[in-house]
Amino acid sequence: MDPLLYGLDLVVFIGIFGIVALSLNLEFGFAGLANFGKVAFFLVGAYTYALLSQIGVPFSLCLIAGALISALFGLLVALPTLKLRLDYLAISVLAFGEILRLIVKSESWIAGGDWGISVAPAISIAGASPRVGVLVNIGLVYFCLLICFVIAQLLANSPYGRVVRAIREDEIAAEALGKDRAKYKAQIFMIGSAMAGVAGGLYVQYLHYVLPGMFMPMVTFTVWIMVLLGGPANNWGALLGAVLVELFKYGTNLAKPILPIDPVNLQYILFGALIILVLFYRPQGLLKESPIKTKALELARYGRTVAKNKGS
Amino acid sequence: MLGAVGLSLTYGLSGFPNFAHAEFITLGAFIGYAVADQLGLGLPAALVVAFLVTGVVGFLCYRGIFQPLAKRGATIIHLMVASIALGFILRHSIGAIWSWRPLYFTTSWPAFDLGPIRVTGLWLLLIFVAVALAFVMHLILTKTKIGKAIRATSSNPELALASGINIDRVIWITWFVGGGLAAIAGIFRAADTQIWPMTGWDIILPMFAVAILGGIGNFYGAIVAALIVGLAENIGVVALAALGLSTSYRIGIAFVILIVTLIIKPQGLAMLFRRA
Repeated sequence: MDPLLYGLDLVVFIGIFGIVALSLNLEFGFAGLANFGKVAFFLVGAYTYALLSQIGVPFSLCLIAGALISALFGLLVALPTLKLRLDYLAISVLAFGEILRLIVKSESWIAGGDWGISVAPAISIAGASPRVGVLVNIGLVYFCLLICFVIAQLLANSPYGRVVRAIREDEIAAEALGKDRAKYKAQIFMIGSAMAGVAGGLYVQYLHYVLPGMFMPMVTFTVWIMVLLGGPANNWGALLGAVLVELFKYGTNLAKPILPIDPVNLQYILFGALIILVLFYRPQGLLKESPIKTKALELARYGRTVAKNKGS
Repeated sequence: MLGAVGLSLTYGLSGFPNFAHAEFITLGAFIGYAVADQLGLGLPAALVVAFLVTGVVGFLCYRGIFQPLAKRGATIIHLMVASIALGFILRHSIGAIWSWRPLYFTTSWPAFDLGPIRVTGLWLLLIFVAVALAFVMHLILTKTKIGKAIRATSSNPELALASGINIDRVIWITWFVGGGLAAIAGIFRAADTQIWPMTGWDIILPMFAVAILGGIGNFYGAIVAALIVGLAENIGVVALAALGLSTSYRIGIAFVILIVTLIIKPQGLAMLFRRA
């Protein structure tokens, strides 16, 4: 296989899973929600994209529709489950993802059932080589990633983001200050789901097909590894995690001929061991929680340096 | 049912859902397969060996991973993620050893007809073992010191500690028993259908439904809930077939029970067994 194409392929996957990692980071890192069913919203976005593009809707609308419908599903799941304890939330969202996968698997009229359907690429240039095709995809994916990153950063540093962090730290205290925790959680859940939906759409249009086997619970936990490894509540950390995990996956695939056991097994054994080690020795991840940036804090710091300079 | 009882007990005592319980089931099934089929020692020996080995694995997992993590102040989310990570390690180690192709127990069972229903010897053995184990567990939980300690720790850990119960030891024993019961469940499941590294994961959601419906950490609740979920699934499959839907939705029935329980009464059936 063309080594350059292989490298570019990696770049595309880093971008797509970077978006998913950002969305999980919003939910888990900032809001403290254990979304063990991330793949469900990824799936919704992917199937929305696949079905709409089949009837000839332009790709940008497909992506936006994927985001909206994912957000809607996010709301539907959030309403009954967000008031539950964290562990119940985790179990029910995980179950939701499995049920969705079962539905698209057994209802073959939706999108080909177990065999899936093919999906038209978002942008196709007649007569272009595969390399150009991948480059176009990189542009598209990283454009979406940039938008998601800016949104995530703005959310994290806004007063809204501070309320969300406050709810994560102490729900009752936040409620006592008049913040409706269920509302904030549901909103974050919807935003996170929408981002995952966009990523799902990008994923299937890049691969040119969609089938239920792409949405195993493994996907969710790969994303969890990215966030935990990179550093929860730090958007740069989520991206760093996505880069490291995808690099690692590609690395083990490349090393396939020299390994004694099947790299897929080895990959997941090492992923599992890695997560446990991270939880043991560096639960805050590689990058620490990003400090809050506000105008007031900046001014205060500025004032302090001015005062110090005067004193000396 | 056997699997769910173990899940419910360890969930109740350690305070977090152990997703790697699915892999205890798988591991038990494979050990059973190795003993019964590959070594040819028969099913009873397989049950005993799998119970012991998986029980020890369960204990080691708790002692080596979850207990130190909890002592370092890990949150419940961290513990859940760690259990999933452990599940990955176990599942793919099993996959690397025995490969991902489905395997079948070669033992054949005498089958006979009871009216319109075909009953196999395996089912009779399963019913016998399940009832016997439930009875033994009942005796242990009500009559022995350790059983009382388990129930005390499950309902109020601080009070149990204050009354001089060694909580750590109680939890270790529970993880051992939980792992062992999971192994037995795995062997029967595998003997009835097939065995592959996803054996346990395939039934983890109904088991969570049972554990939550029965009330986390409640032995009697789990048994009643297992009967309810099992019946509901089987009636549901008939209903699904009548409606012309795919029977692979049977797992959805357990899911509906799970959600409804969580919304209406998160403590499950436990309130029926307050003084049990």
